[in-house]
Amino acid sequence: MNYFLSNRFADNKEVLSIILVILGILIFATVLFFILGKIFRGDKVRELQQRTKSWWIMASVFILATVLHPSISFVAFGLLSFAALRELASISKNIRPEDRRVIIWCYLAIPIQYFFAFMGYFNLFIIFIPVFMFIWIPFILVIRGFTVEIGRSMSVLPVQLMFTVFSISHLAYLLSLPELTGFNAGGRGLLLFVVFLTEMNDVFQFTWGKILGRHKIIEKISPNKTWEGFIGGFVTTVIVAFFIRFLTPFTAFEALFAGAIIAGGGFIGDIIVSAIKRDIGLKDTGNLIPGHGGILDRIDSLAIAAPSFFYFVYNLYYA
Amino acid sequence: MRWILIFFFYKVLMRPFLSIFVGVKLVNSKNLVYSGPMIVVSNHNSHLDTMSLMASMPIKQLLQTHPVAAADYFGGSWFKRFLSKWVLNAILINRAREVGDKSPTEQMISYLDKGHSLILFPEGSRGAPEQIQEFQKGIGAILKRRPLIPYLPVFMTGMGRILPKGEKLLVPFNAYVVVGMPCIVKAHEVESIVEEVKQAVLVQRDQFHHQFNV
Repeated sequence: MNYFLSNRFADNKEVLSIILVILGILIFATVLFFILGKIFRGDKVRELQQRTKSWWIMASVFILATVLHPSISFVAFGLLSFAALRELASISKNIRPEDRRVIIWCYLAIPIQYFFAFMGYFNLFIIFIPVFMFIWIPFILVIRGFTVEIGRSMSVLPVQLMFTVFSISHLAYLLSLPELTGFNAGGRGLLLFVVFLTEMNDVFQFTWGKILGRHKIIEKISPNKTWEGFIGGFVTTVIVAFFIRFLTPFTAFEALFAGAIIAGGGFIGDIIVSAIKRDIGLKDTGNLIPGHGGILDRIDSLAIAAPSFFYFVYNLYYA
Repeated sequence: MRWILIFFFYKVLMRPFLSIFVGVKLVNSKNLVYSGPMIVVSNHNSHLDTMSLMASMPIKQLLQTHPVAAADYFGGSWFKRFLSKWVLNAILINRAREVGDKSPTEQMISYLDKGHSLILFPEGSRGAPEQIQEFQKGIGAILKRRPLIPYLPVFMTGMGRILPKGEKLLVPFNAYVVVGMPCIVKAHEVESIVEEVKQAVLVQRDQFHHQFNV
């Protein structure tokens, strides 16, 4: 077992404390909705209970993937990218039946990208998908020789790779960052910081929107998004970022700024996936996690928040 | 002995492969647990159709459920015949039979009378993706003679993209297997029974599209 548990895990008080916080929140939510369910019977409470159950599953998978041996974390994030890309490719109506074999190349890019992240080849990591695959996919499409509406496939496939593989792999790269003197939590701390804040931002926006929501932001795309929800979630996330900055090497001001990047990025990712779904006419992108839609619905905020946060911390402390 | 191969193939190999790698998802999978005899009826776009249904069944039921395959296609060589019988648990029927052979209907009914179940694809062959062709008469002939045996309508979507007819390369995509409730046939004539069964499959398709707003 010692081989699997990372040797620094036991000393890593910061990571341990945030895991306890996550478990505390989940236990609190479970008890709260259980009591609410006894008082009010209805679909709304049932949905909240269902959502809490899914959070338990997601949180345990994520925590396990974080605290176990780093190579397991890379495989787990790779599988997440794979499932997300598969889902996006499946629901997209912009992929032609002739593109089946080209999608294999997109899937093959996943292990390569995560290999670069695992080895810490930063230069290859940042150019592989945006530069190399951006050329390779159109090239393969041309070789295949179906020219009708080929431009659509040329644009859609690289974007899907960027959204599901390139962006999510930044979470994995956090674990490959070198150690800084005087910063104990390390890559795991940064990873927990960005994922915890992104998910909490979703919950805060949802909660504030339910309590105060009046003015819609973009009704045509996401009718449940309100200015009250967005601002309430934004402010709460920034405050929480300030209090859990012990996971990062940030000063107080930098932590506030990172919270703002995550809240803003999360919102942008959320509405991008909403717009894609609206284009297709889907409510949920799949039904893997009950009460939570598909995998894309879970990673939509992370897809923008993760790279934004990554380059913020990278340029401040690791460049 | 036989159950080891069947169990290994469907449960150990196919099930994780289909659910984790390929992305096949079951809707109302509880309905797939039944006690035989039962005729599972589904539309057909890919070889994965049979695999997905069989891999999702409890092991005991799996041994008593036989996918029905065409002998001229799956019985071509001794190796294919071995695979069909010992690994896939399939029964082979003669579509073009000689005089004096047991008719396909007789063959299938003999299994049903033993209490076993069948998986039937009444479209006959794997058609173009997402298009349901006319159903063949076989299902009507069986249900006319055994009207009390229930059938289970199943609708599948997305399989034709993963592994369509004539393609060798499998590409993972999300696919759905929608399992309906068991029904007893109401009509009495072969043609109207076939039509009734087809409608039951189409109802599953419409409900699925309605539920997911596709």
